[in-house]
Amino acid sequence: MTEMAQRRELGQAVPLAALFTAFLAVSLYGVGGGGGVVWARRIAVENRRWISNREFADIVSLCQVMPGPNIVGIAVCVGAKMRGTIGTIAAVSGFLVIPWAIGFSVGLLFLEYVHLLVVRNILGGIAATAAGLLIATGIRLLLPHRQRPAALLFAGLAFGLITFAKLPLLAVLFVLVPVSTAIAGIEKGRAR
Amino acid sequence: MSDPSAPLALTMHLALVSSISFGGFPTVLPDVRNFVVGTHRWMTDQDFANIFAMARSIPGPNMILMMSFVGWKVWGFPGAVASAFATFGPPCTIYFASYRLWDRFRDAPWQQIVRLGLVPVVMGLMIASGTVMARAADTSWPAVVVTIAAAAITLGTRLSPMWMLLVGGALGGLGLL
Repeated sequence: MTEMAQRRELGQAVPLAALFTAFLAVSLYGVGGGGGVVWARRIAVENRRWISNREFADIVSLCQVMPGPNIVGIAVCVGAKMRGTIGTIAAVSGFLVIPWAIGFSVGLLFLEYVHLLVVRNILGGIAATAAGLLIATGIRLLLPHRQRPAALLFAGLAFGLITFAKLPLLAVLFVLVPVSTAIAGIEKGRAR
Repeated sequence: MSDPSAPLALTMHLALVSSISFGGFPTVLPDVRNFVVGTHRWMTDQDFANIFAMARSIPGPNMILMMSFVGWKVWGFPGAVASAFATFGPPCTIYFASYRLWDRFRDAPWQQIVRLGLVPVVMGLMIASGTVMARAADTSWPAVVVTIAAAAITLGTRLSPMWMLLVGGALGGLGLL
């Protein structure tokens, strides 16, 4: 954390090209939806060490309660954090421009052809792997909160209400977040 | 499709729904379907389903791509570009403004409280969506093993996810899952 702050003060700002290519990679690697957050954490937290695990969890959470495609929000926030407005533009362009052009061309071709069995099987294998990656990323981002029983309780509730009760995401989010935040506030008040 | 105001109507509608798409774009997909298939009859239900399946299976910004294909159907290439901008532009502005606000109050006590309350819930949701994905993808026991192995390797090592995805794709392609 402090090391990163020092590096920024020394004027070693993250190059815009690095933001562009990092989010280009996040976008291209994130196959099948939901995978993007796995790569965004991998690249921004572990490989480039731009932000800490905790800051990343903050950003993901912030994006989750805002409208829009959440993974684009991660690009917006990381770009803004590293280089302000211009950083956001670099990160979002990296995330969107080339992948959009590729996806759009491939898609137009794809729409022309029947779905081949082998293609479906490959996509099935990738989907099974991607599901495991997403679960592990969620657990990793939850780890800093494991000392608080209330955190584990609300993570478990959110998980259960979606997985077993099959409630809509929006309902779960807007019921649990206020209660969870209120309890965190009470805990903080007691600690003081 | 013959109506000259169609592209404008579609762009405006996408900009509106993207601004209220809490929880990601999939939450407003039913509304978009009603708008383009039901109200305006720009495409059939089958067209819409095909576009959805395809957008899910190619890498990249899926929902933005999906709306681009909808725009393509209505107004060709300009429609595709306009729809893409309408889908990510308004949310990007909102993300940027809210991140600025969040960053300005980074040491405020209320922010720590919101963080403590918010982050666990969102991570529970993320693990849940992984589980929901796994349920759809894991149609056999070997596939379940692949999902569990991918999660365990990610937690225990720093192996790049790309290797795991390649192995998963290869096992699927060989018909082993």
